[in-house]
Amino acid sequence: MTFDIRAADLVENPTPRVPVSLCIDTSGSMAGDKIRELVEGIGLFYDAIDEDDDAHDSAEVSVVAFNTGANLVQDFASVEGLQRDITIAPSGLTHLGEGVNLALDTLEKRKSLYSDTGVLYFQPWLVLMTDGQPNGDKSELERAIQRVTRMVASKKLTVFPIGIGSDADLDVLGRFTPEKPPLRLKGIDFKEFFEWLSKSVSKVSQSMPGGEPPIDFGSIRGIEDL
Amino acid sequence: MVCLSDGAGSATHSEFGAQALVDTGCKLLSERFGDFVSSDDGVALKLEIVNYLLDRLHDVAERRAVGIRDLAGTFLAVATAGDQFLVLHVGDGVVGYVKDGIARVASGPDNSEFANQTTFLTSERSAVGMRIIRGGLDGITGFILMSDGTANSLYNSRTKGLAPACAKIVELLASAPTRQAKNPKHKKQLRRLVDTKIRVATKDDCAIAVLARKLA
Repeated sequence: MTFDIRAADLVENPTPRVPVSLCIDTSGSMAGDKIRELVEGIGLFYDAIDEDDDAHDSAEVSVVAFNTGANLVQDFASVEGLQRDITIAPSGLTHLGEGVNLALDTLEKRKSLYSDTGVLYFQPWLVLMTDGQPNGDKSELERAIQRVTRMVASKKLTVFPIGIGSDADLDVLGRFTPEKPPLRLKGIDFKEFFEWLSKSVSKVSQSMPGGEPPIDFGSIRGIEDL
Repeated sequence: MVCLSDGAGSATHSEFGAQALVDTGCKLLSERFGDFVSSDDGVALKLEIVNYLLDRLHDVAERRAVGIRDLAGTFLAVATAGDQFLVLHVGDGVVGYVKDGIARVASGPDNSEFANQTTFLTSERSAVGMRIIRGGLDGITGFILMSDGTANSLYNSRTKGLAPACAKIVELLASAPTRQAKNPKHKKQLRRLVDTKIRVATKDDCAIAVLARKLA
């Protein structure tokens, strides 16, 4: 018999996704070099994802900015759909709890979309960056901490709490990851952190069943309190 | 009968575990098929099968001086006798069948929530995750078993259906000569398909097993 298998006889499944949520402090204290460097760092993160074949196909990024309230700056999108010219004018307070809750709500919506459309995905990541002390609604902060710690405990989320500069409240950040201390960036050098983040996304996108996501925390140079 | 096991990439000696699972699974099914298809107690059956396979893995682990989790692998099996069939499945990968010329899924991948999570025979709750399906062979021309790497090309994760190629693959084998040959044509054709189309679509290992017959 003739055995002729053409492209139409096979299926092309979507690449499993790695959802990465960047939840960033845009309060008044971030004004000046901090926000400029952070936005540049995010741009470098996008570039690095774009250049890596594995990360390019798998990473989906969202950005939530929090100050006096929280705002979804970028909904989850693959690298082609990301808005490159992010403009943020820092102002107001540090509503960290509200920011984290919005980031988690956005993530839940994305996961539902993946499930509805048969797209497989890896454990989502939440990168939480702040330079100060939270001063929003306390109940929102507690709710955010509970949601995150519950998801981390059941291995449904990987969290990277990052303190920016010496004024960042590492005690509060530490409550999001009780088993692992938060990281404090040396100065405001975000470049190295985002380079490391993109490489880690690439590694995770290649992980196979049975393997823990190969996140090499020890390879992040320029970060203290590891 | 046919068995397939995909060793866990994270397990150091999974190739030995996968081999042991395939050998032991075939032995078990050849000896106990009749009991299994007539069993009314699904829970007891799952526990018996898992414990039997685990006992063998324990032997292998002891001989190689490794932990049993170092032998982790998925397990897919199909056995037929008379007019009945039995499907066993733990973990990801897919077991399909072709009935009346149409390829259908008997058991789909168990991926938990995340793409890099699944159940292995060595997992704590493997008996809970095991799927056992039995039925009549009327109209069925064959079964196709595949690891998750192969499933990337032959199983549609959106529709949860099989690719059209599956029916063609089963038909290829069903129409192949039954006489023994060292390297038969259908085997070369299947190998070419795997090498040129299925393997290039994934970074994962690719395994496929096919059981087929020509209906009278």
